[in-house]
Amino acid sequence: MALLELDNVGLSFSGLRALDGVTFAIEAGALHAVIGPNGAGKSSLFNCISGIHRHMEGLVTLEGQALAGLEPPEIARRGVARMFQNLALFEHLTVLENLLLGRHPKYRTGLLRNLFWTRGARAEEVRHREKAEEVIDFLNLEHYRWMPVSVLPYGIRKRVELGRALCMEPKLLLLDEPTAGLNQEETEDMANHLLDIRHELGVTQVLIGHELRFVMDLATQVTVLDRGRVIANGPPSSLREDTRVLSAYVGGTVAA
Amino acid sequence: MPTRPLVIRYEDDLKLFPGLWQRAGVLLTLSITLAYPWLVSTRWLTVGNLGLVAIVGAASLMVLTGFAGQVSLGHAAFLALGAYTVAVLGAKLGWPFWLALPLAGGVSALVGVVIGAFALRLKGLYLAIVTLGLVFLTQHVLLAYPEVTNGLSGTAVPMYWWFRDDAGVAASLSETWVVGGVGFNFERKLYFVFALLAAGTVWLTKNLQRSDSGRAMMAVRDQDLAAEVLGVGTTQAKLQAFGVSSFLAGIAGAMFAFQQQYITVEPPFDLNLSIQYIAMIVLGGVGTVFGAVSGALAFTFLSPLAETVGGALPLVNQLTSAQQATVLLSLVVVLVLVLEPLGLFGVWLRVRRYFQAWPFRY
Repeated sequence: MALLELDNVGLSFSGLRALDGVTFAIEAGALHAVIGPNGAGKSSLFNCISGIHRHMEGLVTLEGQALAGLEPPEIARRGVARMFQNLALFEHLTVLENLLLGRHPKYRTGLLRNLFWTRGARAEEVRHREKAEEVIDFLNLEHYRWMPVSVLPYGIRKRVELGRALCMEPKLLLLDEPTAGLNQEETEDMANHLLDIRHELGVTQVLIGHELRFVMDLATQVTVLDRGRVIANGPPSSLREDTRVLSAYVGGTVAA
Repeated sequence: MPTRPLVIRYEDDLKLFPGLWQRAGVLLTLSITLAYPWLVSTRWLTVGNLGLVAIVGAASLMVLTGFAGQVSLGHAAFLALGAYTVAVLGAKLGWPFWLALPLAGGVSALVGVVIGAFALRLKGLYLAIVTLGLVFLTQHVLLAYPEVTNGLSGTAVPMYWWFRDDAGVAASLSETWVVGGVGFNFERKLYFVFALLAAGTVWLTKNLQRSDSGRAMMAVRDQDLAAEVLGVGTTQAKLQAFGVSSFLAGIAGAMFAFQQQYITVEPPFDLNLSIQYIAMIVLGGVGTVFGAVSGALAFTFLSPLAETVGGALPLVNQLTSAQQATVLLSLVVVLVLVLEPLGLFGVWLRVRRYFQAWPFRY
């Protein structure tokens, strides 16, 4: 059964049709890539899934339950984590605090117990710290644990953001251009992390990418968007010959 | 000598005073706090009491503005609500101060949460304007019911340590107690009560800072969209910040009223007071409890100094003493913003780094 299903999803911004009749499914355990030229609606699609654009049309279902109309925090609680395209880390907090914020929906202590720092609140902090440390270990972030995010280089910040999403122990991980702005080495590191997440943690991932080689190498399934419509959907090998994909990407036919 | 104990459990990282140096610092602070009232004149003891009030007030503003990033000009309104609550409970009903204090916080917190709910969609300047409106609204309401608040002429704020008995004889705190040959006059008693309240406030805000609730507020401050996607309810975080902040602000206002013994609506509860509190947290360093405490103390102790210095400066000495303090303190705040945006907290970081690296310079 598919983990996430999109049925006829549409989105308009006063006349601009950002998404139109988008229908496809994401299988559990997949590393599903969504590609397309600039303005194709990739990020808008993510915003629809995570509940930021609540004026969308159509249906989004996670494990058979409708997500449309829910608030972003509620969707997060149901197991959808997200990594933003232009880094949305909490600049003034340390790496560890950023990761712990990924655990926020799982905290069982409220404001009062936290204010008086009760035994329960302390135990809860330690419990989530252990989980955050697992992610730190997984992504090799040990050196940066106590550093405020604002002093870290871009490549590390990307990794911290991936870690923050992993801390949520999500069912579905939405990755919006995880390699944008990274150099060759950092890109390869990121690719390894994504593969590790798939194989060791078994988390389903949806990946937006620009770099075709990266996407084609990693993905198990690829959906191509152009001007808000799905123009192709299938395993990477099936898309290499697809003329619609080629024309969307390079504006015409190319000699193979 | 190890300067930092070995951390072997995650609990160790959560301690406020993990090492020898921190504990030595606590001991030093404690002894200074205990010795202070016996070492200084009455004038400076009063300044000390105002400093403790300012610590509570600044820490409460730090929760709202420093942690949750909600710029508020309405702090004076919350202080006024706390002050008038204890005034009415004391003067009309003869309640003891320890019962009136939490109620002052409660009244203020209630208004804070209601205003917070209205202000949920507002950010930055717009929020500042709405909270500014709250100051005038509160002033108006307090003056509109003179049968409760005594209106323009102000009201006395008696401080009882027990309920007024049937004969109307009050257990007032203002008479001097002699304990073991040591005289505790009103100012000294006030000092020790205030020191406890300030320490409690610092403890609470520090707990907030190191716990999930505080982190959620900071997440809303830094990136509200990302916070939502992580499952942090921004509505909840903001309302909690408003609630905690205005509760503590109410306590601070009540402390101020007890210290003044007689209060009017305006001054002191006007826009100027709100701005003074913002100046304190900027001076100390926004976003840290250390900043709230150091900013509050620096601001309160600099005010009388500024009046002394101001008289010696040309042009400045043409102004009234209050204006002199305002001009000089504004200058200090501007200089801090230009030279050390992290405030006194930034200065402290540099001093600490110097000694950690010593004898090397880097």
